[in-house]
Amino acid sequence: MSELIQVNQLSKTYKVPEREGGFRSAVRGFFKRKYRDVNAVQQVTFTICQGEIVGFLGPNGAGKTTTLKMLSGLLHPTGGSASVLGYTPWERKRGYLQAMTLVMGQRNRLSWDIPAADSFLLNQAIYRIPQAEYARTLKELDELLDLSPIMRKPVRNLSLGERMKCELAAALLHRPQVLFLDEPTIGLDITAQARIRSFLQEYNRRTGATILLTSHYMADVTALCERIIIIHQGRLKYDGAISELTHRIAPFKLIGVALGDPCPCDLTPYGKPVAGENGDGKQFVQVPAGEVASITSRLLAELPIHDLTIEDPPIEDVIERAFQE
Amino acid sequence: MHTLRVLAALFKINLQMSLAYRADTLVNILLNLMWLGWELLGLSIIFSNTTQLAGWGIGEMIALMGVFRLVNMLMASLIWPNTEKFNTSIRDGSLDYTLLLPVNSLFLTTFSRMVIWRAWDLVLATALIVVGVNMSGGGATPLRLLSFMLLTGTGAMIIYSLWIVMIAATFWFVKFDNNVTILQALLDAGRYPANVYPVWLRMIVTFVVPIAVATTVPLQALRGELTFLQILLYLGVSLAAFVVASRIWKAGMKKYSGASS
Repeated sequence: MSELIQVNQLSKTYKVPEREGGFRSAVRGFFKRKYRDVNAVQQVTFTICQGEIVGFLGPNGAGKTTTLKMLSGLLHPTGGSASVLGYTPWERKRGYLQAMTLVMGQRNRLSWDIPAADSFLLNQAIYRIPQAEYARTLKELDELLDLSPIMRKPVRNLSLGERMKCELAAALLHRPQVLFLDEPTIGLDITAQARIRSFLQEYNRRTGATILLTSHYMADVTALCERIIIIHQGRLKYDGAISELTHRIAPFKLIGVALGDPCPCDLTPYGKPVAGENGDGKQFVQVPAGEVASITSRLLAELPIHDLTIEDPPIEDVIERAFQE
Repeated sequence: MHTLRVLAALFKINLQMSLAYRADTLVNILLNLMWLGWELLGLSIIFSNTTQLAGWGIGEMIALMGVFRLVNMLMASLIWPNTEKFNTSIRDGSLDYTLLLPVNSLFLTTFSRMVIWRAWDLVLATALIVVGVNMSGGGATPLRLLSFMLLTGTGAMIIYSLWIVMIAATFWFVKFDNNVTILQALLDAGRYPANVYPVWLRMIVTFVVPIAVATTVPLQALRGELTFLQILLYLGVSLAAFVVASRIWKAGMKKYSGASS
């Protein structure tokens, strides 16, 4: 498969004005500004192939949005290079802008006072979409996102989830080959999140579009991405399969046991007891991945066990660990 | 062709927005008519005491009022609303979306908002100019009319260029909401011919904020006071102003770093 996105030693340093609190330093800052360098992104390197969906993870302020903005051409990097679809993004060539899209979950591109359908027409003109193709794409997006009931209402009357659907449609009318999604499900309820998720999956399947997305909801990531890239404090920490990350960062499993005797019994001889998520009365122990078999047979032999499960540690915990390393 | 199509789409959107607020539109047109009556009353008071103002008769003053209205229309229908939108978008970062579109960013910044009912001013202004020219007793040869129209265009272009520079300054200062206030403040000086003002003020309205270039100068052309060379000069200056302004805009775009997510 061809490498659609190539990022090489990409770096961005912001100059940020800084002053201490208080009136005096405010006055001083008015005449003489002090600046501090913030290294938002430092020598990040990765490649993404056509048709991949890659999760781009990291805590707040890790440099995710900055990277996405550089890749979509909004920011000039202070170092390194990138090529997307053969273009250098920040040259902002028409051909590039025509072939990609950026969706930011916290910003609106649709006009507030008019129905989304009217904003779509503006996009049709701007992206030079021929009428037949426009009608076809809109019909397809309508099928996937169920736009008909909502796209004729003024955008200000829509719920957050409905608005996000329209935002996505507006961003995809020109059939971009590359999608940069910055927290596309932020603030949405579980159902709406799932809707957007399955839409992205289906869209990727139908069009073969390449997607790089950030999200703080692990469900988004586990549902959509086989591969993740983790950055922390501007540096690349991990690039690979999610399953691989679990092996590397958290090489242990969770054994959950439901005991016939309802009183809790001490499991410390078998492993490190941890709190379970679902309140079904199970107790969990964390054991090294290599010892699962032997410990399980010991548990079964020594305790009155009703039910037993072996699970991977929750992905949130694994990623949390990865951030901290 | 593409540009026209985008312009038409923007026009449609803005028309829909103004149709959504019908009462607002009607009240605005009424207010606008009231202001016109007020201004004409002012003129008639001046000319009940004198027949000439710095060499200009009442007909010419009415025509000047018409040109002044044209400039005012430019300000009220495009410059004000788009400045407001631009200033907001640069601070909350929504300018990002404008920059992502495969269209000239300056074009979109200029035309994304249009106060459509202001087109009504075009009718009023034309009426004032026609009536004024007739009252001033003719002398308006086709050539003079042509140069009048040409210079109205160059005047608008110079004000537009000045506006570009002022909003581009926001790229460097981020918060600079008064960027266009000075333009509006001096615009009022355009109501009267530049030569009624003392020299220092005349200098300001001609060179610093060249409002006179947009109002007085076209009228001078209509009165046949300008040489061919002067007309050419104004034309050149307005083109140069636009080229410089769009360079500054481009530099500003490079500077723009986007608000934090």
